[in-house]
Amino acid sequence: MNPLARNEPGKTILAMGNDAIVRGGLEAGLGYFSTYPGTPASEIGEGFTALKQQFPHIHTEFSVNEHVAAHGAQGASWANVRSMVTMKHVGMNVASEVLHFAAYSGVRAGFVVVVGSDPGATSSTSEQDDRWYSLHTHLPILEPATIQEAKDFTIKAFELSEKYNLPVILNAPSKLCHNIGSLTLGSLPREVQKNGHFERNPTRYINLFGGSVANHRRAMESIDALEKDIPLVSLNREAPGTGKTGFISSSINYLYLMEALALLGIVDAPVLKIGITHPLNVKEISGFAGGLERIIIVEELEGFLEYQIKQLLYDTGIRTAIKGKQIFPRYGELDVDIIADVLSRELGLPLPEKMERALTISETLTTGIPPRQGAFCIGCPHRATLYSIVKATDRKVIFAGDIGCYTLSCLPPFRAFDWVTCMNCGVGIAQGMLQKIEGEKVIAYVGDSTFFHSGIPNVINAVQQHADLVLVILDNKWVAMTGHQPSPTTDVSIHGEKMNPVDIKGLLKSIGVKYIRSIDPFNIKASIAAVRDALRQEEGVRVIIAEQECALQFARRIKITPPEYTVFYQIERGRCQLCNECYVDLGCPAIRKDFNDDGHFYYIEETACLRCGACKDLCPNGAIVRTEIKLHPGTSRETEKVS
Amino acid sequence: MIRYDILICGIGGQGAISLGTILKLAAIHEGLTVVGAERRGGAQREGVVTSNVRYLGLEEGEPFDERKMAVSGLIPAAGADMMISMEPLEALRHVRYLNENSTVIINDFPLIPVSVRIGDSSYPDREEIYSRIRQVTRHVHIHNIEEISKSRFNSLKQVNTLSLGIAYAVGNMPLSGESILATVKDQFPDFGKNKAAFSLGIEIGNSAAEGNTAPTP
Repeated sequence: MNPLARNEPGKTILAMGNDAIVRGGLEAGLGYFSTYPGTPASEIGEGFTALKQQFPHIHTEFSVNEHVAAHGAQGASWANVRSMVTMKHVGMNVASEVLHFAAYSGVRAGFVVVVGSDPGATSSTSEQDDRWYSLHTHLPILEPATIQEAKDFTIKAFELSEKYNLPVILNAPSKLCHNIGSLTLGSLPREVQKNGHFERNPTRYINLFGGSVANHRRAMESIDALEKDIPLVSLNREAPGTGKTGFISSSINYLYLMEALALLGIVDAPVLKIGITHPLNVKEISGFAGGLERIIIVEELEGFLEYQIKQLLYDTGIRTAIKGKQIFPRYGELDVDIIADVLSRELGLPLPEKMERALTISETLTTGIPPRQGAFCIGCPHRATLYSIVKATDRKVIFAGDIGCYTLSCLPPFRAFDWVTCMNCGVGIAQGMLQKIEGEKVIAYVGDSTFFHSGIPNVINAVQQHADLVLVILDNKWVAMTGHQPSPTTDVSIHGEKMNPVDIKGLLKSIGVKYIRSIDPFNIKASIAAVRDALRQEEGVRVIIAEQECALQFARRIKITPPEYTVFYQIERGRCQLCNECYVDLGCPAIRKDFNDDGHFYYIEETACLRCGACKDLCPNGAIVRTEIKLHPGTSRETEKVS
Repeated sequence: MIRYDILICGIGGQGAISLGTILKLAAIHEGLTVVGAERRGGAQREGVVTSNVRYLGLEEGEPFDERKMAVSGLIPAAGADMMISMEPLEALRHVRYLNENSTVIINDFPLIPVSVRIGDSSYPDREEIYSRIRQVTRHVHIHNIEEISKSRFNSLKQVNTLSLGIAYAVGNMPLSGESILATVKDQFPDFGKNKAAFSLGIEIGNSAAEGNTAPTP
């Protein structure tokens, strides 16, 4: 049984931060869930999907983008059903238009917005500090520190949302989303509400002229009411102490801070842990600050707490010295090491000797070791597509990059990627650039899910403005990079059920694209020819759809429903000229190098190979052999075919 | 106060995350509290993967103290009591988490990074890797666990349970063998094979002279 579905209050289970948010939703009696997947928050959607059987009343969807997802959750809340929308930090930019109206019109049932932030940008193209959104959307924001708080704060967020008539944001950084540890369960609701009801309320829901101003005022009054009640909300707590330097922190930084203080031997410092970081309560902050000689604020990324605290203390006349971003970096992740180091210098205390030694010696010991950058998975169709693009162009075109697994084409061996910023930066930037450059050819990339997310308006604009570019849609049928959520092009589910995919070709035709070709990326020779042909055409948007399912999903499906035959690829050493086409230029990790008395040779590691066949197709020496073996239950093999 | 920190490192697809999960579930079985963040961005894609496993618990009669129980998901520099590395180079990459008392278990099975494949850099000599790690701690246990799994079980699926056995034998994890085995039984198919692999791991851990490469059985 899925441990998240257990109704055993008090039981401790192992859960990821993201799981804890799912459980919080279940305990709060959530009825609607929507998301656009994005690391580090993707597992929340997967969690609800896995619970569909036990909680059939919860509508769960992977929406086309965050804007749609946020609107959907707002709709459910207005129908009086508790709703949650989740996204990664940059998804908040897409959802922000919806959320800027959310405080105006308020909620009926609790509406919680979960944002997975990514300090350090370990799986993102930016590390924007989303907490600032609270200052202009007027939505309260909670920052849990632990796995337990991730669950408990989620429940609290629903209660606050209803009490103060505002959607509530829950912010979880990647190191909380992906923290896995003990979670003590609460109880599940006895009764759940399957459906709600919409009640007309023009004053609330029609934001027009004076009505909009009235709603703006109501939003301000709501957040002011919450601000006054903060001490009763009890999401903030103080670790008391007699020291004259006090600390204020939130989120996982509070834990890093406590560990750093222990390492530095500081045992008497008062520490204020803030769970709700907007709004702040003036009495609570001034009460903590009064009598202290100095306050150090520890937060990741920018000085969101510091900004609010300084403003608030200025108004009360308290002039305690405050240090925050003056001493801590405004970018990158924090950890115990960084905080201990900054505090040791600020407070004039030595770092523990073993830590000091580890930091110094590790730098020397790791000098010159090779980096380990990402690569496409074995059998990935994008590797084959990129190989063909590089061969067809010799990199003598502009490569308009975008967000998805294919972003890895910026790395060796391909290096065929000239920029990446946000979703649909490929076509979007290229079609504008093309109005002002001459004599250059452009290949833009987009994945299927990214295309549907916000790509269609960009392509329409490119067509309307006569941009002369080749767009390669890398259609692998899934939102692969975030863990294989369904995409609008998913045609067969992992268990083999037929889905209802969008007809990309029909869509492209209807928006005026005249040149559309499909390729099978594993057919290298045909793919190279297709890219060359598309580049030769002079005018307009030419689309190549590189269509092949994500290799990991393919591998999962054949495990569930094994095929009747199996295929092997082998390198014939006698024919191999060691030309490096497969080993370096394609760079498939299943092709390996070994040594014997005659020098080095290449071979295909059978346990790793996913049988895509790209290497056989590209080998200029015909040295790669495909062997097909038919399998039948009960007998080992029936026929063998070598080609 | 019971505190014990384990850092697991490897490459996407090697099972570092699953190994961490077993060690965490075993802790819950044991009645300990456990936390630990994962770096999983590189999973399946040749990237670096780490799993932090941090155990904490109160001794009998010890009062709860917020300052001691506030433990983050990341092990600080020099903080790892144990490191289990599924790959030699990755052990060296994470050497900052070790101190002179740390126990290190390394799977002596190099996986070549893309940068080496295309000739941009070279993979350091393994003896050089190990001698650098030994500059920090003498408690280094090197075994070709993949090879042992292949030769003894004709499969790579026992690498994790072999590693668990070795770790159990050479470290001071606050876990009982029963808790580990109960978790293995719950989480992995083919308990018979995995139980045998766990026992073999313990045997290897106990018999290998500290700091030396054990002969492949």
